[in-house]
Amino acid sequence: MTVADDLNVAADIPAKAAPGLTRKGALYGVLTALMVVFCVVPFILVIVISFGRKIEGAAWVWDFTFENYQRFFVGTLWPDEVTFLYLQQLGYSFYFAIIASLLAVLTALPFTLLLTRLKRSTQAIWLVFILSSLSMSEVFIVMGWDILLSNNSGLPKLFQVTGMTQWLKDVGWFQTLRDIGLANPRNVKFKPSEFATILTMSYLVWPYAVILLYPALSRLDPSLSEAARTMGASRWTVIRTVTLPSIRLPLMGTTLLLFVFLLGSYVTISVFATPDKQTTAVAIYSNIRGSNLNAPFGSAQAVILLISASICLYFGHLLNSKAEAR
Amino acid sequence: MTDLILSGVSKTFGNTRAVEPTDLAFAKGQLTALLGPSGCGKTTLLRMIAGLENPTRGQIKLGDDDITDLPAHKRKFGMVFQSFALFPHYTVRENVAYSLTIGGMAKPTALEKAESLLATVQLNGFGDRRVGELSGGQRQRVAIARALAQEPQVFLLDEPMSALDAKLREDMQVELRLLQQRLGITTIVVTHDQREAMTMADTIVVMSNGRVEQVAPPQEIYHKPANAFVADFIGKANFFDGLYQSGGVMIGSQTLDVPANFAPESPVRLAIRPESACLATEPGQNRIAAVVGFVRDLGPVREYHLTTDIGPIIVEYAAGSEEQKLTAGDKTLVHLPVDALRVYPRAAA
Repeated sequence: MTVADDLNVAADIPAKAAPGLTRKGALYGVLTALMVVFCVVPFILVIVISFGRKIEGAAWVWDFTFENYQRFFVGTLWPDEVTFLYLQQLGYSFYFAIIASLLAVLTALPFTLLLTRLKRSTQAIWLVFILSSLSMSEVFIVMGWDILLSNNSGLPKLFQVTGMTQWLKDVGWFQTLRDIGLANPRNVKFKPSEFATILTMSYLVWPYAVILLYPALSRLDPSLSEAARTMGASRWTVIRTVTLPSIRLPLMGTTLLLFVFLLGSYVTISVFATPDKQTTAVAIYSNIRGSNLNAPFGSAQAVILLISASICLYFGHLLNSKAEAR
Repeated sequence: MTDLILSGVSKTFGNTRAVEPTDLAFAKGQLTALLGPSGCGKTTLLRMIAGLENPTRGQIKLGDDDITDLPAHKRKFGMVFQSFALFPHYTVRENVAYSLTIGGMAKPTALEKAESLLATVQLNGFGDRRVGELSGGQRQRVAIARALAQEPQVFLLDEPMSALDAKLREDMQVELRLLQQRLGITTIVVTHDQREAMTMADTIVVMSNGRVEQVAPPQEIYHKPANAFVADFIGKANFFDGLYQSGGVMIGSQTLDVPANFAPESPVRLAIRPESACLATEPGQNRIAAVVGFVRDLGPVREYHLTTDIGPIIVEYAAGSEEQKLTAGDKTLVHLPVDALRVYPRAAA
């Protein structure tokens, strides 16, 4: 091959590369378009619809009004009358999500710590089992808990048959259960109740908590706690002063993630929460698909829920950044 | 005067015996090195002393107190870990003050004491730094200061130099030894580095396969190794296998005079340090014909790698001290002095 041939080959390179670049560009273009169509467009639609208006007795129309947001924060009769019904529902969303996520993390933490101390093969079996439990849908899990806590066939029946109910009455604890809504005059009852709601929500996200905590806990250097022990720290002091501070960031991250996930919990709340403690997620559904058919207001609630979750994530991120900076 | 006593202490993990029944006494105020290859059980032994592992059998006594079942946090032996195990969420000062604050000392007092301990390990002004901002040597000093904060009766160090580079390691060995002598704390150091053990220890415990092979001061360990393993593990040695016959050892066609008595025809192993063997010009007792194969000049010492009828022999001289300078291919005689030969029983092949 001569120098001239070499030059010809070199001259051909851009011409050959161009179709490759075009194909790559087309692929990126299609992927971007898909992202826009399936992720961004629905999101923008929800925001746009939240400014729409519901025609009483008919469907809703496109508009640009803040009525739906006003209704959410101060009620439709504002300024004559102020109601906080929807803020209260948002409050319950936060209430259930915070307690359930904390409960899940607090119970998953010791379990995961123990898990990391098992043999590798045993750890693998447990992790596969926990991962497989993630494949169960919320509906399936809630149905199981619904049966378990039902008055006629679940735990209350077991309490009655085994004499536990009578024992609770004898020792005087039955009245306490009645006071907190976990018993009727005859027997214990677990649903509907905050107890059943929080328990089921925690159960739903518990495997996620284990999976999210596992990497951080398995990387935890055991010599840190051993060093603390040789310096006079009891087991509890080691957990308080060494283990927990060492995994502070993953703990906070896991809690935040579960919290945001639980904010949108729908089936559990519909089945186990009392009517006066329904959450924003349930209200959104009843507005968009349920009896109200008020998509603009439902959309406004969805936007507010999303913004609330984003604010929480932002504060979580701020806290993490501060902790990392230390 | 002894302080820490181990009687028949052993440890088994499943079917594996990590530490054979061991009797040891650690003299008060002395530095003892547990020396051996990886997996010989020295760290397990140290962890049992610290209370981080429970002995399968045996008793550990500190003075008159039986501490065998005493949990680690009640023994309060200061311990420096191989990874240093400094708490990343605390500052250097808070790390050093840890044992004091959890022990109930007022935080300002504890931090003040931590500062003085940091001065002891020459880390003045480092108190506010995070652990991640320190070099390996500085981390080790913090770990030492932290372990000393609770004024331990026994100070334990698990491979404390292994994370340091060679130069820093040498400096820290001397520094740690001086600090230990100044404070007079009973100290046990686990190491696989014989040079480290020789530098720092009053007594060396050589271990192999969970068993104590020899307990002696460094010089005795070097010059009078109790068995072939110790002779091989500590320093360098030339080994020859042969059969004992009245007054000598038969190796191939050669017979060497040795200072030991065994039953006739007993299989034995001879050992001699390279610096104890020497080149010779005149024939005589234990002088064997040799050919120089290779000369290795290391600066302070020169090694002659010789080929002989009884096997390869290395002879070492301080540079320039040898009477004859040889080069590869030269014929010579090698002298193995009787009093420098060590003879050990050997299992028959």
